[in-house]
This record gives sequence, structure tokens and C-alpha cells, in this order.
Amino acid sequence: MRILLAIRCFFAILFHGALSDALLSALGIARRPDAAPVSAPAAPAPAARPTSDGALQVLAILQRDSRLIDFIMEDISGYADDQIGAAVRSLHDQAKESLTRYIKLQPVIDSVEGTFTRSGPIDPAAVKFIGNVPANTPTGGVLRHKGWKAAKVDLPALSARQDVTVLAPAEIEIE
Amino acid sequence: MEPKYVIGIDLGTTNSALAYAEIPAEQDPLALPKVELLAIPQLVNAGEVRDEGLLPSFLYLPGTADFPPGSTTLPWDGRAEAVVGRLAQKRGVENAGRLVASAKSWLCHGGVDRTSALLPWKAPEGVARLSPVEASRRYLEHLRNAWDAKMPETPFQAQHVLVTVPASFDAVARELTLSAAEQAGYQNITLLEEPQAAFYAWIERHPNWRERVAVGDLILVVDIGGGTTDFTLIAVTQQAGELTLDRVAVGEHILLGGDNIDLALARLLADRLAEKGTRIDSLQLQALWSNCRLAKEKLLDPASKKDSEPVTILGKGTGLVGGTIRASLERADLERLLNDGFFPGTASSEMPARQRRVGLQEMGLPYAADAAITRHLARFLRQQASSAEHGAIRRGPSGLACPTHVLFNGGVLNAGLVRERILTVLNGWLAEEGMPPVAPLSGEDLMHAVSRGAAYYGLARRGKGVRIRGGVPRTYYVGIESAMPSVPGFAAPLKALTVVPFGMEEGTDARIPNREFGLVIGEPAEFRFFCSAVRKNDQPGDLIEDYGDDLQELAPMEVNLAAEQNASGVVPVSFESVVTETGMLQLWCVARDGRRWKLEFNVRERVEA
Repeated sequence: MRILLAIRCFFAILFHGALSDALLSALGIARRPDAAPVSAPAAPAPAARPTSDGALQVLAILQRDSRLIDFIMEDISGYADDQIGAAVRSLHDQAKESLTRYIKLQPVIDSVEGTFTRSGPIDPAAVKFIGNVPANTPTGGVLRHKGWKAAKVDLPALSARQDVTVLAPAEIEIE
Repeated sequence: MEPKYVIGIDLGTTNSALAYAEIPAEQDPLALPKVELLAIPQLVNAGEVRDEGLLPSFLYLPGTADFPPGSTTLPWDGRAEAVVGRLAQKRGVENAGRLVASAKSWLCHGGVDRTSALLPWKAPEGVARLSPVEASRRYLEHLRNAWDAKMPETPFQAQHVLVTVPASFDAVARELTLSAAEQAGYQNITLLEEPQAAFYAWIERHPNWRERVAVGDLILVVDIGGGTTDFTLIAVTQQAGELTLDRVAVGEHILLGGDNIDLALARLLADRLAEKGTRIDSLQLQALWSNCRLAKEKLLDPASKKDSEPVTILGKGTGLVGGTIRASLERADLERLLNDGFFPGTASSEMPARQRRVGLQEMGLPYAADAAITRHLARFLRQQASSAEHGAIRRGPSGLACPTHVLFNGGVLNAGLVRERILTVLNGWLAEEGMPPVAPLSGEDLMHAVSRGAAYYGLARRGKGVRIRGGVPRTYYVGIESAMPSVPGFAAPLKALTVVPFGMEEGTDARIPNREFGLVIGEPAEFRFFCSAVRKNDQPGDLIEDYGDDLQELAPMEVNLAAEQNASGVVPVSFESVVTETGMLQLWCVARDGRRWKLEFNVRERVEA
């Protein structure tokens, strides 16, 4: 009996390259599930950075290039409009330059605001209906805001050691 | 390995660029060469490498507290002990003591030892320094690595490389540029003068150029970059029925450029602010300087109709709005500064103010004492005597060289206002001479023209385009002391023996007749070495006395006759000058029996400028 089983196993492997289920159960062993990938020793993957790191990095870039945080955190209630305007003009140029360099911005619907536009497939995250919205989701309306989406994000890679919580270094001048 | 590309490198005072063209496999005279630009990866912020069209020629020597560890590595350089390019330029504004800038201007500054570690010029004690040659090497090395990173199939060292130098570079500065390139691992290098490269770029863009110029025309190339101004004259001649181009004159090296204009604007605004009681410090002046440049460019934009541009310096601390200093750059101020300060409408006989000669002059770069570029141009056109081999330069009754065309190059001349101003002044001079006005040749992409033109010239050298005949842009002399009884307190008068005539062509040599020198074996002999951009008719062997201010002294040349078999004594030698195929100048001492020794520049010793 054992010889027969051994011969059947031998020919099964010789001709089919594998043992049939019947043979396996006769041998008392179970097939390894196919789906389970060969678990390679988990390469020490770079410790996944928390998702907030990307956000902090963008803030740090905007502060570095345009001093956006300085502006937002400053109490501007006491300043005259033209004083604020002068600062914002330069901040605006630099913030725009740096934002568009790292993040490619696109309108969600590329059409003229104020004209009738088809809304495309329903996606509440991408298209928001406002005004007298009927019960059935409409297929179009007057475009009021084109929306923005990031078509491409191209942020410089963060090194493992980099502390992203420092958004701007302190500056000490030697006189 | 046969080169697949020719690479043109513009090693600029403030920006460097790299262009390249593929060498066509087959000779097709109708195929137009296609010149492309290489985007140069560089650090633009700590930890961020990005491709840029230009490599700012700045080098920063970081200390331990400058950048986070590991944030200055490049794809090809993990150590990165020095930062080159945009980040160096940015960080240097905050800490100038570790920034190497304008290395190229130091390279042609005869008043210092250019191979010694001098830069950063104002580095505090304890900061490592580099020589101007070493700094240039780093820029060239960065470009080589950038190429190899982008084009791994065709290694840089196997390609044919052209490096441009200002036409006004003397033999020593050229030699030093070449040695910087060699140290950066360059092989197959040819040097090319920048104004010629700019003209090649024009030819590349205008394949029908032969229809736009005629025999007898004289083309003035005006090149005003960030830090330097360079003039060149190219004559259109004819040889065997073909139009040929001869570079007939080059100007002196003038340390004056766009940066001076921007700084003058910043000073003007700083003075205005001071009148109102707002004082700004040196860091704020730097910010004002770069903002003035932006405001200037906006006002000079042909589409701009505004009478003024706001210039702001944001507050220094976290208080942004509160500390903001506001000023505005008025169009009237800008036009007055350009028209009266840098490009005044002077007479063609008005020469620039002389360099100040103060007993205790602060060392540093010999900046032009006179900011009026038009006066420098007047002197250049006045100085041009015609030379025998290069045909007569078209001149007016007063002797002023009279160009028929002008080609503009360099960032400053992107501004239409500046181009118009130069044309107006120049045409005024020509009218006085009874000559018709010049025709401007339209240049394009002035920031990259030199590197593009260099790549085109690389093809031209391979017989695939027109070549400008140039040769050596100066006459060179060796100083000989007169045999006169010495008088205490007076140096014996010096005569100058012509060893290299103006326009001596590449790949030729000249023996200096009728004059032998006795060299002592085993002892170094040193010769004083002079050049002149003005005296163009002196022939090899001519002995010049009473040359006045026409000659400039260069680094001395020395030769050491190695003693063979303990031989001693005096060897009579004569001079032979050689201009190599790559345009390098060599002087040799030749003994009667044919033995030869090469003279080398001695830049180690301080030269009294």
C-alpha cells in the first residue's frame, strides 16, 4: 500500500509537477494557500512617516519661501490697509511661486464661471450643488466656483532624521 | 570612444550653463545643427535637488551649523563638503563669510596669487579657503557630474568639450581656466571666447546669416553680464569667394555689469529711506538689492506701462507686516540712472576715468573706477588700430572704429531700453564720423547664447559650419633690460621684445629671430611678460621702447633648465612661440642643438599690477 502511494506520488510529480488533492489527503498534508505570498523577511521599510508630515512640510515650504506663517500668526488689526497691502504683495508672489512649484493645481471643472456646466458623475467630494437643488441630483447648473484639485504633488523627499515639526528655524545674528 | 556630442560650457561670473549638440554621423551640409540645453540638477534648498536651466556660479563652504546633516548630498556626491549653485547663492546672502562668489573675476586678477587659497575673500579666521582655480574646478566638476547623471550612456569625458572665457582674459587666466578644467576631469577641451560664442549662437539661429552681412562689414559684440563687460569686433572678409569672419579686436577686462546697476538702485532707495528716517542694515540691503533687480526687470519689460514698482523689505522677525519697509522704484529714477550713470551720452573722445592709484589700496577685485559703460566703449573703439593680417578695420576720419552691426549679449541687454540707449549713443558717434547708423542683430535667449554658441562652434570645428578666424587676441612681449649703466634709485629702462604677434593663429608657431639669451643650467630663469590689446602691428622680434601705457604686465614666465649629466654652464637659447590647436599660448626656449624647454607662468609670486 505504501509502495503504491509512493509510486502514485512519484508519477504525479513526474507528469503534473504537483500532487493531487486526493494524494495530499492520503498523505495527511495540506496545500499552502496560493494567495499567501512568500513572506520575505520584512525589509526594514523606512518607518512610515505620519501623514501629518507632508502637511508640515508644505507649511515649512510656504514659510520659508513666502513667510506665510509669520503673516497669519501676526496680529494685523492695528495696521493700515496699505501697510498690509505692501507686505502681502510680496508674500503673494512668493507663495504662489512656491505653491505652484511643488503642487500642480487644476480646477475640478475647467469651464467659465457663471456659465451653464454639466456636472459629470455624482461625487459629493468633487462637485457641490448649491441653491435650489431639486430632489433628484441634477446633471448640471451654473458654475460658481471651478474648484481646485492637486493634479500632481512633487514634494522633496524627507530624510529619515529630519524633524518636520520645526517649521522655521530661529535666526540668531552675529553682529 | 568617438565623441557623440559636443558640449559647450559657459563658465560665467554669476551663472554657468551647459549646451550640447549631437555630432551628425554623416556629412550633410544642409542639415542644421540642433543645439540643446542641459537642465542642471543642483541643491535649491537644503535637502532638495532640482533641475535648473542655469548653475549660479557660487560656492558655499558649510560649517557644522549651516545645514541639517545629510541635507546637502547630491545624487552623485554623498559627502558634499561644499555646496554649489542656487542653495549656495541663497545661503551666502545670510552668511557672506563662507560664500565664494565671482571666482572668475579673481581668476584674471593679476594682483594676487591665483593658485593660493584666497576665497572667500572675507572669510573669518578658521573657515577653509579655496583658490580661484579650485572654485572654478568645483563648478566645472558639478557640470560634468550633472551631465553624467543625465546622460549616463555617453560619458562626459568621451565628449568634445568647449569652455568659454571672456575675450579679455589674458594668457595666464586662460591657462588657469584650462588647468581648472583639467583638474575637474575634463578631456578634449577647447577654449573659446565668449563674444565669439555669442556670435556663433546668432549664426546658429539665423542660417541665412550670409544674406544679412556683407564683405567689409564690422560687427561689434557688446556683452554685458552680471559682473563683467566685454567688447569684441568681428570683421566680415572674403577668402576664395567665401564670406569669412575675422575677430579683429577685443577689449580690456572691465569689472562692471548688471550687479552694479542693481546695487546702484538699492543704494538710491536706501538713501531715500534714510532721508525719511528708516535705516537698513547690510542684510536688508541684500534683500533690497535683489528686490530692486526684480522691480527693474518689471519696469524694463516692454509691456510695462507703470511709472513705478513697489519694492518692499519684509520685517525681520516674526512680525512681518509691522516691520515691512516700503519703497518704490520710480521709472524716472531708473531711466536717469541708466541714461546718466551707466550709459551717458558722452562724446566719442571722452575716455573713462582712470583707476584710482592710492598708496594703500584695499586688496580685492579691481572694479572699474568709472561706471559709464559708454565711455569704456568709446575707449575700445578709439584704441583700434588696424593690423596687417586682419585687414583694415572700418574707421572714420578721426580714427574711431565704426561698426556696421551690433550684436548684444548678456542679461543686462535683455532690456530694450538699454539696447536702445547704446544704439543711440553709438549712432551719435557714427554720425559725427559721417557714417550710417549701425544695424542691431537680434540676439535671443541672452542667458544661454554663449553656451549654445560654444556647442555650435564645436560642430564648426568639425567642418560643419562657419568658423570665425581669431587667433591670439593680444600681442605678447618679453621684457629685456637695457644694457645701460645703472643709476641708483632708477630701474634700468625696460624694452619689450615681441614674441607673439596679434592674431597669431591656432596651430602655428613663430621663431623669434636675431636674439639669443644665455640661460644658466640648473638655475631657474625668469622673464617679465607683457601684453597689449592696442599694439597690433608689432611683429615677432620687434623691440619696443617707450611704450607708455600700451603694455600691461602679466605674471612672469620662468624656465628651469634641468642639468643633464651634471653639465653646467650657459646655454644660448632663442624663443619660439606656439599657439596650440586649442588656442593655448606656449613659449619655448630652443637651444642651437634643438633642445627645448617650455616656459611656465609663475603665478605664485605677487605681481605688481
